[in-house]
Amino acid sequence: MGSLSPDTQQVLGADAVRLGLAATDRLDALRQCGAVLVEVGAATEAYAEAILEREESVSTYMGEGVAIPHGTDASREHIKRAALAVLQFPDGVDWGGHQVQLCIAIASRSDEHISLLQSLAMVLTDKQRAARLRETNDIDEVLTLLAPQAEEDDD
Amino acid sequence: MPSVNGADVRKVVIACDAGMGSSVMVASTLSKKLKKYDVAVVHMPVNEIPADTPVVLCHAGLADRARSIAPGAVIVPFQMFMGDPAFAKVENAIKGGGVLES
Repeated sequence: MGSLSPDTQQVLGADAVRLGLAATDRLDALRQCGAVLVEVGAATEAYAEAILEREESVSTYMGEGVAIPHGTDASREHIKRAALAVLQFPDGVDWGGHQVQLCIAIASRSDEHISLLQSLAMVLTDKQRAARLRETNDIDEVLTLLAPQAEEDDD
Repeated sequence: MPSVNGADVRKVVIACDAGMGSSVMVASTLSKKLKKYDVAVVHMPVNEIPADTPVVLCHAGLADRARSIAPGAVIVPFQMFMGDPAFAKVENAIKGGGVLES
């Protein structure tokens, strides 16, 4: 299922993609992000707490309705394995003046998640694919959109 | 004040607090743009910036920390992770040989 390679599937499993959620505010959304990372065995409660702390210092809002919550440098010791979680909030969450409809929560101590974030960065430079990521109700489509592509030499 | 000519830049460091999120996103878009000028773009936590790094891009909120860790580096702060004018400024300096200063 999905189109991720086995290595990538370990970092982003279908069970960590949660679509059609609702959050009362940013804090609630961040707590939900931490809870999914804990639930899939990627991190401990202490890491989930650090996600709140990290957001206080500098917002993780990236653009195109997407934020990438993660812990602080000091909280990396509370990560058990590299994982991403995708939480979609179709009604939007106020994120310091921006509307966020998608959170990609990150737990990683090294580079296992880099290729997925690189493909996220590419999706966010393409308005149509970014909109699909925010709006789809198909978990497989999320995995396909975020699947790392082979290096391409454009522009 | 540290300064460097864009034409001499071979490596740009993107720093964030943990080096696992925002710096990765910025590095992947910027490396695509700078590849054709033979400039490497790497990401790392702000506390791990090597002292001899010539150019560091980081969020404005981390600029003071970056300056204390790499006092000789030109620190270019940005506010937005995507589409900030700072990225175009660095790209233009590298492309046309302009001066970058802290």
